[in-house]
Amino acid sequence: MMHFLTDPFHYIFIQRAVAAAVVVGILCACLGTFVVLRRMSLVGHALSHSALPGLVIAYLLGFNILGAAAVATVLAALLIGFLAKDEAVYEDTSIGMIPTVMFALGILLISAGKSYRDLSAMLFGNILGVTAADLNLIMLIAGVSLLALALFYKELKLLCVDPDYAKTIGVPVDLLRYGLLLFLALTVVAGIQAVGTVLTNALLVVPVAAARLLTDRLGVMMLLSCAFAVLAALAGVFASFYLGLSSGASIVLACALIFGGAWLVRKTK
Amino acid sequence: MILSYCRHNHSHPDAKAPALEVRDLTAGYAGEERPALKGINLSVPMGASVALVGANGAGKSTLFKAVSGLLPLRCGTVRVFGHHLGECHQRVVYLPQRSEIDWQFPISVLELVLTGRYVYAGWFLRTGRNDERLALEALAQLDAADLAGRQISKLSGGQQQRVLIARALAQNADLLLLDEPLNAVDANTRHTIAQVLDAIKKQGKTVIMATHYFDSQDKRYDGAIYLKDGEQVTDTGSRAGHEGCDHP
Repeated sequence: MMHFLTDPFHYIFIQRAVAAAVVVGILCACLGTFVVLRRMSLVGHALSHSALPGLVIAYLLGFNILGAAAVATVLAALLIGFLAKDEAVYEDTSIGMIPTVMFALGILLISAGKSYRDLSAMLFGNILGVTAADLNLIMLIAGVSLLALALFYKELKLLCVDPDYAKTIGVPVDLLRYGLLLFLALTVVAGIQAVGTVLTNALLVVPVAAARLLTDRLGVMMLLSCAFAVLAALAGVFASFYLGLSSGASIVLACALIFGGAWLVRKTK
Repeated sequence: MILSYCRHNHSHPDAKAPALEVRDLTAGYAGEERPALKGINLSVPMGASVALVGANGAGKSTLFKAVSGLLPLRCGTVRVFGHHLGECHQRVVYLPQRSEIDWQFPISVLELVLTGRYVYAGWFLRTGRNDERLALEALAQLDAADLAGRQISKLSGGQQQRVLIARALAQNADLLLLDEPLNAVDANTRHTIAQVLDAIKKQGKTVIMATHYFDSQDKRYDGAIYLKDGEQVTDTGSRAGHEGCDHP
């Protein structure tokens, strides 16, 4: 059994994949906690789909893939935030509209560029293909995002539980909302290599949803979410290495299994 | 060093200024052309306890939202303890009738009451033991000390109201804007809240309380402000003050 777990570590690409899995798992769980509690679960879904035009442009022009995806998702996040600020445009309308437009732009670019290159790794993830440069970018995004979460933890908590009160004591809630969207966009970019644009949202939402079933304490919920996300991400690495399965799909289904287990535990309590 | 949430670093009150001074205020909701409040002029001295009287839709909550900074002013000025809106965040607290609080959020009552101390901690600093002591004292004043460790999702309506008033006390504000705090709560809670409001008044704090009904013999109040359809009226219902923006 131990050899089953340790043998893959002889390969440098597995070491990188495991490092990426752990970092992306922790990042997604920590940020995902605020995403779930602010009822923004669909935003991650929206932002991950918004990465498509960035990915296509990067393919066609030879830019850095994740950098281009970051620009596209951040742009989408800012647009969603900007539109949702107008009370006449509901937040969910903005979330439903912008990513569809971005996805359509991506498809248009694919057809206009007549590119037949395989985009499946970007759409569905390939954690075993994480390069040293990808890992550096993932680490950078995780470091900055987690530092921001730690620094603004108290204000983010208040933004989730009582945004009006936050506003009356002078907390710049719009700026915080934009900040949360910005870091969510960056987290989606970090998750693209592991689970792909289509499936990243599951890593943001499902481990947190599972933890929410087991605890009603925020700190415990974050720790449990991190453990679940890392476990699922590692399961994806091993499933991909030993069975040749899609890492993104394996990670998401592992998350779903954990959620199912948590649901059963809650029901049998 | 405390990094305040507002650039004014929480100005101290001007001793001679009224607690609240509103001049020619017009305010409305985004997307609605018609203002919800029009031509409001009022002055509430420090330490006064005033009833804000009007039927549903008269503009009571809108006035509170405008004064607490939740609603942008279309024209006019609001001064709190002599300072512009936003310069005295810690000195004003607004207790809405229907709060936007997510009661399913996974935090305890004590943690929620502690958010009343955030304005003093500012950016980057956590609340400390002194803040915790003040939050617990505030809960005790509302006969809710035993709720401190309970999750907010497990509170009844009356308990929720007690906890929100405890947070307002923890903030130690000097101007309290209370939107029908005695509405839809049980008799015990109403009694406790009324006692706390009396204590607040004795401390010299200024209270403006929205209410449907006002009895001029009610000793809780020093006076009343009447609103009808977003405009200020006299106690007999006729229009008061002048309306409209000088600079629309």
